[in-house]
Amino acid sequence: MDGVFANLMLGFSVALQPSVLAYAFAGCVIGTLVGMLPGLGPLAGISLLLPATFGLNPIVAIVLLAGVYYGAMYGGSTTSILMRIPGEAASVMTCIDGYAMTQRGRAGPALAIAAIGSFVAGTLSVVALMLLAPTLATFALRFGPPEYTALLTMGLLVLSYMSGGSMLKTLAMATVGLVLGMIGIDAMSGYTRFSYGQTELSDGIGIVPVAVGLFGLSEILMTAGQPATPPAQKPTLRQLIPSMEEMRLSVGPIARGSVIGFLIGIIPGAAHIISSFVSYGIERRMSDTPERFGKGAIEGVAGPESANNAAATGAFVPMLALGVPTGPITAVMLAAIMVHGIAPGPMLITEQPQLFWGFVASMYVGNVVLLILNLPLVGLFVNLLRIPYSYLYPAILCFCVLGVYSVGNSVVDVWIMLVMGGIGYVLRKFEFDLAPVALGLVLSPMLELSVRQSLAMSGGSYGIFLDRPIAIAMFGAAAVLILLALKPLVFKSKDWRSDVGLDETTSQ
Amino acid sequence: MKHGLALLTLALVTVSANAQEVYPSRPITMIVPFPPGGVADITGRPTAAALEKILKQPVTIANRPGAGGKVGNAAVANAKPDGYTIMMALSSVSVLPEADKLFDLKPAYTLDQLAPIALITADPVILVTHPSLPVKTLPELVALARAKSGQLSFSTSGVYGALHLPMEMFLHAFKLKMRAVHSTGGGPAITMVLGGHVEMTVGGPASISAQINAGKLRPIVSWGAKRHEAFPAVPTFKELGHDVEYYIWAGMFAPKATPDAVLKTLRDATKKAVEDADFRTTMARVNSPVQYLDAPEFARYWAADAKRLGEVVKTIGKVEEQK
Repeated sequence: MDGVFANLMLGFSVALQPSVLAYAFAGCVIGTLVGMLPGLGPLAGISLLLPATFGLNPIVAIVLLAGVYYGAMYGGSTTSILMRIPGEAASVMTCIDGYAMTQRGRAGPALAIAAIGSFVAGTLSVVALMLLAPTLATFALRFGPPEYTALLTMGLLVLSYMSGGSMLKTLAMATVGLVLGMIGIDAMSGYTRFSYGQTELSDGIGIVPVAVGLFGLSEILMTAGQPATPPAQKPTLRQLIPSMEEMRLSVGPIARGSVIGFLIGIIPGAAHIISSFVSYGIERRMSDTPERFGKGAIEGVAGPESANNAAATGAFVPMLALGVPTGPITAVMLAAIMVHGIAPGPMLITEQPQLFWGFVASMYVGNVVLLILNLPLVGLFVNLLRIPYSYLYPAILCFCVLGVYSVGNSVVDVWIMLVMGGIGYVLRKFEFDLAPVALGLVLSPMLELSVRQSLAMSGGSYGIFLDRPIAIAMFGAAAVLILLALKPLVFKSKDWRSDVGLDETTSQ
Repeated sequence: MKHGLALLTLALVTVSANAQEVYPSRPITMIVPFPPGGVADITGRPTAAALEKILKQPVTIANRPGAGGKVGNAAVANAKPDGYTIMMALSSVSVLPEADKLFDLKPAYTLDQLAPIALITADPVILVTHPSLPVKTLPELVALARAKSGQLSFSTSGVYGALHLPMEMFLHAFKLKMRAVHSTGGGPAITMVLGGHVEMTVGGPASISAQINAGKLRPIVSWGAKRHEAFPAVPTFKELGHDVEYYIWAGMFAPKATPDAVLKTLRDATKKAVEDADFRTTMARVNSPVQYLDAPEFARYWAADAKRLGEVVKTIGKVEEQK
């Protein structure tokens, strides 16, 4: 423990140098902006900044890029809550209850809780990263394709808690998502499926254009279909601050979101987007009043927003402890260190203590910076809602197009977004939930890949899923979840019986 | 009709104005057909920075990832051949049209749509195993693979990808059978070996050196013609008497119809750029030393490489048909 303390002091002596501090601050600000712009996510932000870091020293470079990454997780919630447009993919779940809160005039508390949750999750995760990185990283490596399959199966079960509406409609939408995820090159044989000669489609459909289209554009179209222009909101100061009740309700989701997010974040290949889905599902499952979800439950904002921040920090565990990238974002950050002649690997923490501890300390500082930055901005952001819709929506539309294009410099993505906007509009008119589409689309390619990788490893034997302890444990948990999912059905039948009982009393 | 005429005149004026322009008179886009942080990106960005100094115009990187590089390669092959769209491609550029042929797809582009400018780097790949695998040398590995035919597994960066082909060349040369577990990039492929989920993979020097030094991966053999500077103890297939050679190379291309004068400017600029001190340091740091070849030599190198890789793809054939 003393060692950790001494090392942390070393870290702070690095992180509090004016130049490092300045870059951490710059990274956080850029990250917040990048996260806020619809479509434009942390990956695009980091890639744009990568060449600028070649001239900096490696510590500053990684502090800057990391700031952009977790800063984007803070910023991503803003447009989700205010306009139902996911600022980046991991904020899809925040759209649902966050925007419902905005419609009820509670945008301020939603934004504030998102920022506080992000701060708590970010800070707790840094503590975990600092104390447990090498141990956790070794554990994370044990996640091979079979374990991954089990994890994703659990993710798929979240579906049952995702939507308040008809189960049939939820499953139908999830199927749409899963089928959309089938598009593209089959990773095992190289065969291109459902691309209809479009080279751009051969890599599948990305979640960003789909999410921005389904959630954001459809909302704009829905507004256009209303008989009268919704009045612009005029929030008062009292409406900006979360009530005691809202604070109380958020404590549990933030704590659980932090743990879930961190654990999912450290697994190589797991996207932080899954952590927010899982967190939402769990909060709904654990809530005494699940019917409030989808209609502006603060827990539906607090959980996923904490989870995606914790996942962002968790992703640094294998990256720093083993030199293993968990995904494209950490791959870019590893490249940024490599360019400075530091080979990221298992020896990084011992060989480059200044880099590791300076980085850890800078994340403590960065999370504080982001909280200070984001809380006062809540007032400013909420006031964006004062802008009349006739000006606000065209501007948003422009940002959506720009953001989605910037992800892969692809016009096809913009078209996908527009088409999805139209489909989303029609589906919402028929009262279908759209979150299961997003979940299906995210899970289906990953699940297919991991199942088939597992089978390739075992030479075609399904036994591989049953002779690996982590996988068995998770499949067991999935079975329990299924049983729990059946519980509401039992309760529903109770309701039905008591309804009958009520009928009897009235008839008497 | 009036509009049409006006437009036509305008177009003619612009064309004649363009004709008098000295290339380059506006920013150049260098397309990298892979996500940021990969080999092409890490090679492309310093090259672009060095080119900027020489051409006195911004050279911006545009990542156009997708379909293992096919999206970006096709974008450049079909781009306006004015020298303002160039590309930093990897060796997979030659493989993708072959793989398309295999599936009776209309190729997204063909190799004769691209004009080579220069070869920038060519890194030999190295076969690495999980340290728990009881082999230290190539003969031991081959013996084990024979004994456990079809039971050892290796991970790849993707089917027909840059780290799949060398493995197939090796298996074909030694008539071995192993299980191929395809993933979605070089990073995930290495992670799978580190976790012990597969026995081996193939990696570029930059991505595996730290893991090898830490004892987490064991290098067995290199595909280079001579031993790699960073791994002097790792023998090559060639010196062990096997004609197996493979490099992941990064080269610059332009659309085929780019005017000769423009290509000449780009070639001369690249020749200077690879001498740039900053550029050399950066490439040395990422363990990817410069292997510059000017267009004519690069064209020959490319043709030979494409032929060899095309044959490998044909040997692999369709994956389903193997079973």
